Amino acid sequence: MADSSSNLKSDAIMEQMKQHLATDSGKQVTKKIGLVYQIQIAPKKLGIDEVVYTVDLRKGEVTKGPYEGGKPDASFSFKDEDFVKVALGKMNPQIAFMRGAMKIKGSLSAAQKFTPDIFPKPSKL
Amino acid sequence: MAMRDLVSGAAACGDSSSSSSNPLASLANALIGSSSKTQERLKEIPTSTPTDPASQFYSTALPANQLPGSEFDKPLLNLNSQASEFLHRFRGSTGLEETWDEIQRDGAAAQMRQLPPGIQQPPLDGTPQRVLSNILHSFLDSSRGGVPFHPAPLPMLGLSEGDKQCIRDRSSIMARHLFVDKSEEFIDAQVNALLCSLDIDSSVRGKGPMPERFRELEDYWNESQGNLRLGPPAPDGWISEFSQQREKYDNPDSWANSFEQQYGANGWVSEFEHSQLSSVDQMRGMNMSNFAAREQTRMLANTLAQNGDPKFQNSKFLQFVSKMSRGELIIDDNQVKENALPASGDWATEYNQQYNHGHAWAGEFLNDKVYHGPDQWANEFTSEGRQHDAVDDQWVNEFSKLKVNDWADEFGQQFGEGALGDSTSDSWAQAYDEFLNEQVAAKQQLDSSRGVYVFSDLNPYVGHPNPLKEGQDLFRKGLLSEAVLALEAEVLKNPENAEGWRLLGIAHAENDDDQQAIAAMMRAQEANPTNLEVLLALGVSHTNELEQTAALKYLYGWLRHHPKYGTLAPPEMADSLYYADVARLFNEAAELSPDDADVHIVLGVMYNLSREYDKAIASFERALKLKPQDYSLWNKLGATQANSVQSADAIMAYQQALDLKPNYVRAWANMGISYANQGMYDESIRYYVRALAMNPKAENAWQYLRISLSCASRNDMLEACDSRNLDLLQKEFPLQ
Repeated sequence: MADSSSNLKSDAIMEQMKQHLATDSGKQVTKKIGLVYQIQIAPKKLGIDEVVYTVDLRKGEVTKGPYEGGKPDASFSFKDEDFVKVALGKMNPQIAFMRGAMKIKGSLSAAQKFTPDIFPKPSKL
Repeated sequence: MAMRDLVSGAAACGDSSSSSSNPLASLANALIGSSSKTQERLKEIPTSTPTDPASQFYSTALPANQLPGSEFDKPLLNLNSQASEFLHRFRGSTGLEETWDEIQRDGAAAQMRQLPPGIQQPPLDGTPQRVLSNILHSFLDSSRGGVPFHPAPLPMLGLSEGDKQCIRDRSSIMARHLFVDKSEEFIDAQVNALLCSLDIDSSVRGKGPMPERFRELEDYWNESQGNLRLGPPAPDGWISEFSQQREKYDNPDSWANSFEQQYGANGWVSEFEHSQLSSVDQMRGMNMSNFAAREQTRMLANTLAQNGDPKFQNSKFLQFVSKMSRGELIIDDNQVKENALPASGDWATEYNQQYNHGHAWAGEFLNDKVYHGPDQWANEFTSEGRQHDAVDDQWVNEFSKLKVNDWADEFGQQFGEGALGDSTSDSWAQAYDEFLNEQVAAKQQLDSSRGVYVFSDLNPYVGHPNPLKEGQDLFRKGLLSEAVLALEAEVLKNPENAEGWRLLGIAHAENDDDQQAIAAMMRAQEANPTNLEVLLALGVSHTNELEQTAALKYLYGWLRHHPKYGTLAPPEMADSLYYADVARLFNEAAELSPDDADVHIVLGVMYNLSREYDKAIASFERALKLKPQDYSLWNKLGATQANSVQSADAIMAYQQALDLKPNYVRAWANMGISYANQGMYDESIRYYVRALAMNPKAENAWQYLRISLSCASRNDMLEACDSRNLDLLQKEFPLQ
C-alpha cells in the first residue's frame, strides 16, 4: 500500500519507476546506465523540506532516503514541479541546469546520462 | 549636382564681392587674402589715407554702417580681425547686407503703375522688396512647372547698378542649373525675360575702369591675379561649367579672374593659409580650443563623407576638411603645424548648407539670410552623437553575446573532462539553442498560465447563428479540433453557458490537452457549481496532472452534490479532506448502489489517485460491464493498467476505445506511451505521429515523440520533430 500522505507529484513518478525497473524494458535501462542517482526534491523552494530518493540503476531499485552504499555517482536537487518536467521530457536537463532549476553534485559524466528516457511516462485517464 | 552647387555657392561669394558699390572696399577685401608680399605692402597705405582727399569721397558716398564690424579707416592694423573678415567675406553676408540696406533706403521712392486688366501677373502689392521677391520666385517656379517665364511690366523698384549687376550675375548662373536639360537658347530667353522685367540691361559690363587716382592699387590687383593664375589647375567640371558662360560676357578675362580667385584650389587655400598666418598670435595658448576644433572638424568630415556622390567625395573641399580633421594640414612656410581655426565649423557648415539649399538663392538674396553656423553644427553634432549611442548599444550587445558564448564553452569543457570527449561542446551548443527556444516558449506559456483559457485565433465559427449545435454535431462526428472552434464561438457569444464550457473541456481532454481542459471546466463550474459531469472531469484532469489535493476536492464535490449520495458526505468534511475518509465514503456509496456505473468510475479515479491500481482496475472493469460502449471508460481502464506497468493489457483496452471512437487523440497518445514504456520505440513513434496528425497542439505528444526518436536512434528526424513537419513525419512513419 502506497504512502498516500505524500503530496509530491514526484512521488507518483518514483512509484511508477519502481515498478518499471522490474519489467524487461526497465532491466534494459539498468544495463544501459548502471549508475546510482540520488534525487532530492523540495516542495516549493530548492533545498527546503527536501525528500530524498535513491534510484539505484545498478540493482534496479528505487528507495526513499539517502543512498547507504557509499557515495552516489551523482546527486540532483530539484523543485517538485521541475523534476516532473524533466522526467516527462518537458524540460531538457541541461537547460534546467542553466536556469538554476537543478543542482548537480558528483560526477559530471554521470550527470550527463541522466536523461528523460530513464523514466516511464504516465498515461492519462 | 554637388559640383554645380559648389559652383553656385562660390559664385555667391564672388557676386557679393562684386556687388559692393565701394570699389575701394572691394579691392581692399580682395587684397587681404592675397600673398604675404602684397599684404606687407598694404601695411604702408594707412599712413597716407587720412591725408588723401579720397577719404572725403568715402564718407560722403556711403554711411558708416555699410561696413558693420569693420572700421574702414583702420582696416589693416587690427590683425586679430583678419580671420573674422575672411569668414564674413567667404559667407557673403556683408555684400548681401549692403544690398538689403540700399533696397530699404530706396523703397520709399517706389511708384506704382497701372497694369492692363486681364493679364495674369504675380501679386504686385506691397513694398518693392515683396514685388521683387514675387518676381524672382515666379522665375524659379517657371523651371518647375515647365512654363516659360514671360516678361511683365513692373513698377520702378529703384534698383542700383550694383543691385542690377548682382541680380544679372546670379540669375545667369542659377538659370543654367534650373534649366540644365534645356537648350542654350531657352536659357537665354528665360534670363532675358527676367532681366527685361526688372529693367536690367543684360549687356552692361560688370566692372568699369578704375578711377585714375587708384592706379597704384590697380597694379597691386593685377599682381595678385597673376599669382593666382600660377596655381594648380581647377577641376574639369569647373572649367566646363565656366566655358558655357564664356560667350555671355563682354569681359571674359575679368570674369575668369574673379571666378578663379574665389574657386581656384590654390586661391582659396592660399586665402585660408594667410588667414591662419595672421591669427598666429590669437591662437597661441589655445591648445584646448584647437583640439576641440579638430574634433568638430573630424565629425563634420565623417558627416560629409556619408554623401555617396562621387563628385562630392572627390571635391577639394572634402579633402581639405579631412586633412584638417587628421591634423595633416601644415602651412607652407612651416610656422604653424596642425592648426585649425576655432571657427572652422562655421564656414564649413555654411558650405554644407549651400549644398543642401541650392535652390533657395532667391529667398536668400531678398531676406538677407544669415547662416547660423554654430547652431547648425550643434544640431549636426547631436545627430552624430545619437549615431554614436547606437554604436555603443551594438558594442554592448556584442560584448554580452561574447560573454555568453565564452561561458557556454567553458562549461562544455568541464563536461569534456569526462569520458564524453569532443561531442560535449556540440551537445551544449545544441542545448543552448534549445534554451533560447524554450525561453521564447516560456514567455508564451506565461500567457496561458493555469486556469486561464486561451482562445484560438481566426475562428471561422465566430458569428455562426448556432455554434453550440454545430459544436455538438462536430463532436459526435469525432472532429474534435473543429468542435473546439465551434464551442469557443459559443462561449464567446454566451460566456455563462455551462454546457458550452463543459463540452469544450471534454473536447480538449479527448484531444489530450489537459491545460485547456482544466481551464474550460473551471469556467463551466463557475457557471454551474453543481454539475456532476464537470466535477468528475475536473477530478480526472487534476489526477492526470498529478495534483492530488485538487483532484480530491473535486471528487468529493461530486459525491456531495450527487442527489442520491449527498447525504453520505458531511458538509464540515470539505474543509480538511483526507484520502482515507473520502475513499470510505465512496465505498459506502458503491455498496448502496452496486449497479450505478458512475460510482464505480469515480471510485476508479480515486484509486488511481492513491495508486491502488488493482482496485482501480476492478472498479473500471465493473463499470464497463454496465457501460460497455463508453470509449472514455475503456481509455481509463487502459491508462490504469499502463500506470501499473501492465502495458500489454493497456494496449488492448486502448484498441477497444479507438474502435468505438477512431479520433480519440488521447487514446492514440496513450498507445504511444505504452509502446515506449516497453522499450518498443519504433512502434511508439508511429502512434505519436498519428495522434499529432489529428491534433498538432498536443504538446505532450511532441515531447514524447522527441524522446522516442532519440531512443530509436532516429536523430535524422529530430529536426522534423522540432519544426513540427507533420507531412514528413507521416511519410516516414506510416501506421498500417
